[in-house]
Amino acid sequence: MTALHSDNKAPHSTALGRIRLAQLSPARGLDWLNLFVANIQTGFGPFISVYLTTQGWTQTAIGFALSLGTITSMASQLPAGALVDAVRSKTRVAALSILVFTVSALLLAVAPIPLFVYLAEVLHGFSSCTLGPAIVAMSLAVAAEAALGVRLGRNARYASIGNGVGAALMGAFGYYVSERSVFILTALLTLPALIALVPLSGVADVPPPVTGNGEKTQRTEKIGAVLANRQLLLFALCVMLFTLSNAALLPFAASALTKRAGGDEANLLIAACIVLPQLIVALISPSIGRLAATRGRRWVLLLGFSMLPLRGVVFALLRDPAFVVMNQAFDGIAAATFGIMVPLVTSDITARSGHLNLSLGFIGLAMGVGAMISTTLAGWIGDRFGDQAAFLALASAGLAATLLVWRAMPETRSPT
Amino acid sequence: MNTARNSARRRPAIGIFIVALILIAAAAGANAENSGATPLVEIAQDQNAPATPDASKPATPAEPAAPPPPPGAPPKNLQPIFPGDATSILGKKVQGAAGEDMGRVVDILVDGEGQPRAAVIDFGGFLGVGSRKIAVDWRLLQFRPTDRKAPMQLSVARAEVQAAPEYKEKNEPTQVVGPPAEAPAAPDAAK
Repeated sequence: MTALHSDNKAPHSTALGRIRLAQLSPARGLDWLNLFVANIQTGFGPFISVYLTTQGWTQTAIGFALSLGTITSMASQLPAGALVDAVRSKTRVAALSILVFTVSALLLAVAPIPLFVYLAEVLHGFSSCTLGPAIVAMSLAVAAEAALGVRLGRNARYASIGNGVGAALMGAFGYYVSERSVFILTALLTLPALIALVPLSGVADVPPPVTGNGEKTQRTEKIGAVLANRQLLLFALCVMLFTLSNAALLPFAASALTKRAGGDEANLLIAACIVLPQLIVALISPSIGRLAATRGRRWVLLLGFSMLPLRGVVFALLRDPAFVVMNQAFDGIAAATFGIMVPLVTSDITARSGHLNLSLGFIGLAMGVGAMISTTLAGWIGDRFGDQAAFLALASAGLAATLLVWRAMPETRSPT
Repeated sequence: MNTARNSARRRPAIGIFIVALILIAAAAGANAENSGATPLVEIAQDQNAPATPDASKPATPAEPAAPPPPPGAPPKNLQPIFPGDATSILGKKVQGAAGEDMGRVVDILVDGEGQPRAAVIDFGGFLGVGSRKIAVDWRLLQFRPTDRKAPMQLSVARAEVQAAPEYKEKNEPTQVVGPPAEAPAAPDAAK
């Protein structure tokens, strides 16, 4: 609430370098943090496999390194979430996570020898699991529970700007400078991310469940009780089906583009497929956050989830490159709602239990499982029955997810 | 009291970070030393050694019971390959006839005689998204070992590579992009 006030003050000095950090409001700090973290995460994306290829790595070794990262992040979701719950200062968790990103990026940039690459993958996998929940916890502290939807909308807007700018920057560096330079850039981008944390220091120092002055109301529930919460389990299932449908859609569509679109155009079209949804997320996220506050979560969830079957069917039936790119607009809507609703609904269900971060880790684990099944399943169906069948299979997973939200998911917005 | 504890706790974290940076920098230096342009040395097999012009050892009579070399000493049967005579190609760029980007070599398929049959190239994509692996006939590649950045040229049209089926390691017959249709001596395209 206070955060929204201080937004409007324009910095007195127009020179970029002279904006005083201390005057940056926590809300602004959070904006920049989301932007730079998204920037950094682009560097740790699928480009790593291109980089390792240029360094003479075999496909088997690359596959092993990437699986190591995936397995680490899956295995550390729950412990990392519990760790963030237990640490008093979420800002410090975020700072340490970002420093670990710096180390990982430098390890990759400096010497892509197996030990360093494996280490970088493991470090990045774990600290991603601590950073994500810490950002949500800080958002909750900056915005207060009632305004969390709007705040998460803003997070999503800045994260998608960061993703888009990151993809453009890193694409340019990879193409014009060198593959290695992408990781040096990634390491450098951790510095502004750390600086963005300065106005946030101390913001989320008081863990939400311990309220009341004088006597300490011990409201922290048992971990088992939180993870056995029926609503949380149901939401985890919805989220898993969502990623199962979503994760393989873009890579599959992009590889189909490489096959069909002519010449150098294909790479540009793929770039458009990546950047267009980010643009849409940046545009609509704040409205989605507001909709979730006014219309309720169910309505917005249904809107986002229903994009999946639509996308799958369009990819399967309309093969013209122009349609493929336009179809990615639906991805923007899905990504915006998903990015906001996952932390929002999780917070609705578990914020008061004292285990918000653990629960976010649990949901993250469900997403990881969904993504893993998605690529494996789509690859298998694609090999056997063709791209079209794979798209339709992914679409039906999306349909199942939508139906599950529609039939079973209750409204989680707390009545005001 | 809290603030004091906080600042005390922050210091070791930063210390660890700095130590990590120094370690990385040191390792980078060590790595850079190794990658100097020394000629490659190949261990030759003793059986087919006659072709080696070993002028330094004129007709050595059969050495009875040569003592085993001390551990760490270089083996005697070394042949140099000088820079420019041969080059590593895994992960290196493939250029088209007009110098256009044709992807990178990620694997090589070899037959029972040890002859390379096809190169698998990773083709297209943006930031690692949407690239496809295509097998191309080995005979379509020309090599220029002196060009370390792009030591290979592929003489086939981009469109042909693009439209080819993706290379899958386990697929029964691998479909290889072959030379232009007329070549009769290419029985590998079993369609």
